[in-house]
Amino acid sequence: MKNLIFYIHLNTVKILLLGNEAIAYGALAGEVAVATAYPGTPSTEILETLEEFRDRFVHWATNEKTALEIAYGAAVAGARALVAMKHVGLNVAADPLHSAAYTGVEGGLVVVSADDPWMHSSQNEQDTRWYGLQAYVPVLEPSDPAEAYRYAKTAFELSEKLKHPIILRSVTRVSHVRAPVEVEPPSPPKWGRFSKDISRFNLVPAYARERRKALVEKWGTIGEVSAELMRVEPGGHVTIVTSGVAYNYVKEAVRLLNIDATIIKLGMPVPIPPKIRELVKGTVVVVEEGDPIVETQLRALRLETKGKIDGYFPKYGELNTRKVAEGIAKALDIPYNPPQPPKSPIEAPPRPPVLCPGCPHMGTFYILRLATAGLNPVWSGDIGCYSLGINTGQQDLITHMGSSVGLGMGVAVASKQFVVATVGDSTFYHAVLPQLIDLATKKVPLLVVVMDNAYTAMTGGQPSPSRLIPPEKIAETFGIPAFVIDPADIKTSIEVTKRAVEIVKSGRPVLVVSKRPCVLVATRKARKAGVAIPKYKVEPEKCIGCGICYNLLKCSAIQARPDRKAYIDPALCVGCGMCAEVCPVDAIKGDGARVKWLEVWQQA
Amino acid sequence: MATSLVIVGVGGQGALTLARWIGEAALAAGYDVRIAEIHGMSQRGGSVEVHVRFGKEVYAPIVEEGGADYVVALEAVEALRAYKYLKPSGVLVANKRVIQPPGKWVDPQFVLEAITKSGIKAYVLPCFDIAMELGSPIYENAVMLGAVSKLLNLPMPESLDERNREAFRRGARLVV
Ligand code: SF4
Ligand code: SF4
Repeated sequence: MKNLIFYIHLNTVKILLLGNEAIAYGALAGEVAVATAYPGTPSTEILETLEEFRDRFVHWATNEKTALEIAYGAAVAGARALVAMKHVGLNVAADPLHSAAYTGVEGGLVVVSADDPWMHSSQNEQDTRWYGLQAYVPVLEPSDPAEAYRYAKTAFELSEKLKHPIILRSVTRVSHVRAPVEVEPPSPPKWGRFSKDISRFNLVPAYARERRKALVEKWGTIGEVSAELMRVEPGGHVTIVTSGVAYNYVKEAVRLLNIDATIIKLGMPVPIPPKIRELVKGTVVVVEEGDPIVETQLRALRLETKGKIDGYFPKYGELNTRKVAEGIAKALDIPYNPPQPPKSPIEAPPRPPVLCPGCPHMGTFYILRLATAGLNPVWSGDIGCYSLGINTGQQDLITHMGSSVGLGMGVAVASKQFVVATVGDSTFYHAVLPQLIDLATKKVPLLVVVMDNAYTAMTGGQPSPSRLIPPEKIAETFGIPAFVIDPADIKTSIEVTKRAVEIVKSGRPVLVVSKRPCVLVATRKARKAGVAIPKYKVEPEKCIGCGICYNLLKCSAIQARPDRKAYIDPALCVGCGMCAEVCPVDAIKGDGARVKWLEVWQQA
Repeated sequence: MATSLVIVGVGGQGALTLARWIGEAALAAGYDVRIAEIHGMSQRGGSVEVHVRFGKEVYAPIVEEGGADYVVALEAVEALRAYKYLKPSGVLVANKRVIQPPGKWVDPQFVLEAITKSGIKAYVLPCFDIAMELGSPIYENAVMLGAVSKLLNLPMPESLDERNREAFRRGARLVV
């Protein structure tokens, strides 16, 4: 356990752990042997933590479905397996999840799905607990890192006891909160051995029908298990039912409002324990983050509730103490005056998300803009750093993983417009591979650009298969011509890309692979190796203030001075030299170390 | 009751580390702690916001507008953005440094004046300058830590190395 802060306090060892790290340590205490994931904020740190334990099988899969399948297979064979993803990833893995409930498992199978209310880094809000109801998979919901640790361990025990998969639902404010956690040393991994059972593990209709009946029956007994994870904090003649992170806001709100309420905290919100009916008294207020899942189930038990359904709490976004206090006050018809925030003396100019200085994507977007000049393309985008191409007006359609080529084909077929589909290497393997087959068989004219930076960069640089299985090789196997460019070499790349554009104009698909590793990974490695990173400077007497470097290339290390001349922040410049290439009057100069640096960078 | 801090800065300045140091010190002082890392999509150069709450009993991990006892800003423009979190009785601790937001040049003098004349209790500190005197901008957050720890009456975190300890002591001397 490196880099962790330990505290020996009253004979207990407490560590400030991130919720995701806590889930990982809980899994280690729960004898996890196989752990898989596809990275996605806010879930990524779970597998990153487990990666350090070399006595287990830990794997970053190409997508969530594959990740779940590997873990499911391991659990079917009796091992303890964990798979982690973000909420939208569970959509990708939904198919095997439903089957896992039918066959059940032998070891423990824990599916961690981290929701992102208010979309801090996601394309939609989604409540993972619906999948629990839909797939008949019980959901555990921790409220903080300490509970995340305990529930991860409990989830394995329960899963193995029930021989059933378990979902562990986190949200941003559990996964990305650091709090003291008491941690035991990891337990040895539990591996397994597959025992054949034809009628259980073969979901052909005759057998699946029997499994369906068994599943519905089992679901009834799981309600009793749910009761064991419920905690009742007795109080007055008002009941607040809550679950997960919402519990924390309830605790603060009742203190603020100075009310005496009975608090029922559900550890397993899906399914709710039917015996909760006998425990509630007075007005029943339901506080949960996400959709009204607990509330809907309570209403199915014919309980009258006040929660999200009738608008006591907002139906979107994250909760906080104020929203919860306001909702409870309204439900109980008591006064509440929230604090009034002071007004800032001046409005701070925004600092919107931008591509990192020297990001290879910034070169690629510039190259694409010039190579398609006059064609007014539709930019069909995808999920990853390159979605920030929105800043240069080069993203028109970003909806989900793989939307670039899939939706791009649809647009091209429907409208005959010139379409550029931009996708990163990790997303390429995650979701675009099958679409490439459709592209090849139907020969839809599409300029597919793979921005191959060799890592899943937006989530912090997890490995991608791009060097072992290069995208251009795959395209050629499918009969799609492919070109490789280097985004740092802007002039040559524009010429090559123009050739690709001609092929699309003649009615055929083309792949352009723009290859240069993520600049963050490269600078990190260069610093360690002691390789000099050049700095670029603007010669103010030469600069004509055309804005090409800061408005079109849009390097975030370059700012416009009040006189429109460019200024390079030396603390931010990473010496890619792209600005010097695009400046029409040669006003930007480096310090000579570029060639060596670009070589080292390409190997990063 | 808990003490609530909102720590802000620009990506790469070490706001997350600063929050962890404060959390570490609060834990060592016997408090319960919550640190919520509010990072968005930008890795470098974007606004960074971290919420820290500590006290005998802490539940909520995030601070709402009008709920912070302290706003600690490693960068002056971000101080203005986080202003809304302050309680009317809250204290602003801001680094003097301005890092230019993309596409819009702001006058540093104007920003600092806005802070000092805002009417809220504010400390405007030369953390960056001291860090440069110590040899590197990376000590900026440790200087700020020194000042904040003094105000919060928290101990120096054990995990600081010698250079950061010196930065901490220099920061502590900035507030009296
Ligand atoms: S060399 Fe130019 S384009 Fe590259 S990071 Fe530095 S300022 Fe930006
Ligand atoms: S591209 Fe060259 S001339 Fe144009 S603003 Fe930048 S430095 Fe000045």
